[in-house]
Amino acid sequence: MKNAKTMVRKYWKVYVAAVVLAVICDMIGTVKINTGIGTLTLFPMVFAVILGGLLGPDVLKLLDTEQSKAGGTLVLVVLAPFMAKMGISAGANLGKLVSVGPALILQEFGNLGTVFLSLPIALLLGLKKEAIGACYSINRDSNLGLTTDIYGPDAAETKGTFAVYIVGSVIGTVFISILAGVVASWNIFHPLALGMASGVGSGSMMLAATGVLGEMYPAYADDIMMLGGTSDMLTGITGIYMGTFVGLPLARKLYAWLEPKLGKKKHRKGTK
Amino acid sequence: MKRYVIQQMALLCLVSVIMILTNLIGYDMPLTDSIIGILVLDGIALCGLAISKYMSRFIHLPSMMYVSLTALLLACPISPVQAWIVETTSQVAFMAPVTALGAFAGISLSKDLKNFVKMGWKMVFITLLVISGTFIFSALVADVVLKLTHAV
Repeated sequence: MKNAKTMVRKYWKVYVAAVVLAVICDMIGTVKINTGIGTLTLFPMVFAVILGGLLGPDVLKLLDTEQSKAGGTLVLVVLAPFMAKMGISAGANLGKLVSVGPALILQEFGNLGTVFLSLPIALLLGLKKEAIGACYSINRDSNLGLTTDIYGPDAAETKGTFAVYIVGSVIGTVFISILAGVVASWNIFHPLALGMASGVGSGSMMLAATGVLGEMYPAYADDIMMLGGTSDMLTGITGIYMGTFVGLPLARKLYAWLEPKLGKKKHRKGTK
Repeated sequence: MKRYVIQQMALLCLVSVIMILTNLIGYDMPLTDSIIGILVLDGIALCGLAISKYMSRFIHLPSMMYVSLTALLLACPISPVQAWIVETTSQVAFMAPVTALGAFAGISLSKDLKNFVKMGWKMVFITLLVISGTFIFSALVADVVLKLTHAV
């Protein structure tokens, strides 16, 4: 059983760290802070992300890069039972799922809306071709693969995707849990719509968002989880195609149209 | 194939311990029910992963899709085991896997911190916009369609 030995060596430290983190964070529990823009709900998960981040090779050096990568593998393992729970909920409420089906499918296109918001601002900030890679999607693992595949590892577009990928993995879960709480407190979207929106294509971000939403709307908590999970699954399946055939072409068109206007304005300001 | 299943089973058992702890500490669920519920979820997850591994020879789709579809079929109204599946897993909080997930996600991101510090404030700002845009526009479309189709 040489195989088992290498596995033990690879995972034991990561595992012990995770057990300790989970117990500490669960004992802290959910913390709610009232702020001016709404209630900030901090889950044990958020504490676990922050503390886990500190353990790695760059801060406390308790875990090396190899072990940090093993942590990434285990994220998927933990996601599997959650997806099973989500599937059970979806199966048991099949009628409900079908009735919201059109919204669930069409909101996948809403993921592309971010191009219209972020690309013009990226250009105003002076970004060039990186803006295409940075703004066409939420830039999780599959998108990073896609941009690298299309433009090559050294292209400006890929650098943009990579930047958003890195920033997203570091602050994504914490940020989206704050965002979900703030948007929910506006009271303009139905809780179920917010649940669907949580499926952005990253399991950990989805759980962070649906967790906060479930806390805010206890009556809808299970439906929010189910819809967030289903939507995340849909994004996982459609994401690559959406990116290839809609997201990237859209970002390129918008870039070609806006860059001369916004880019120039920036340039003129610079020469004055 | 056999090795993959055994490996995944071992990893699932390991992370399940953390999930059971979260279920007990964070959500005050009874111990025996937690264990049974998590084991059922693990079983389904393992089936899904095995199917995914097998299917990856023909078509590449996210393995989580197979896991949730397996669960969906087992729990849908025509399934003979629906009542049992729903009953046994009801004692596992939806959020039970989440703390463990956060811990692993944190450990996993720790290797990116150095790169993160190198990124300028512009990229951080753009990332926040990209995430906000994705979330808010999806919510907008979902909300409009839900109301148009009279689903809510």
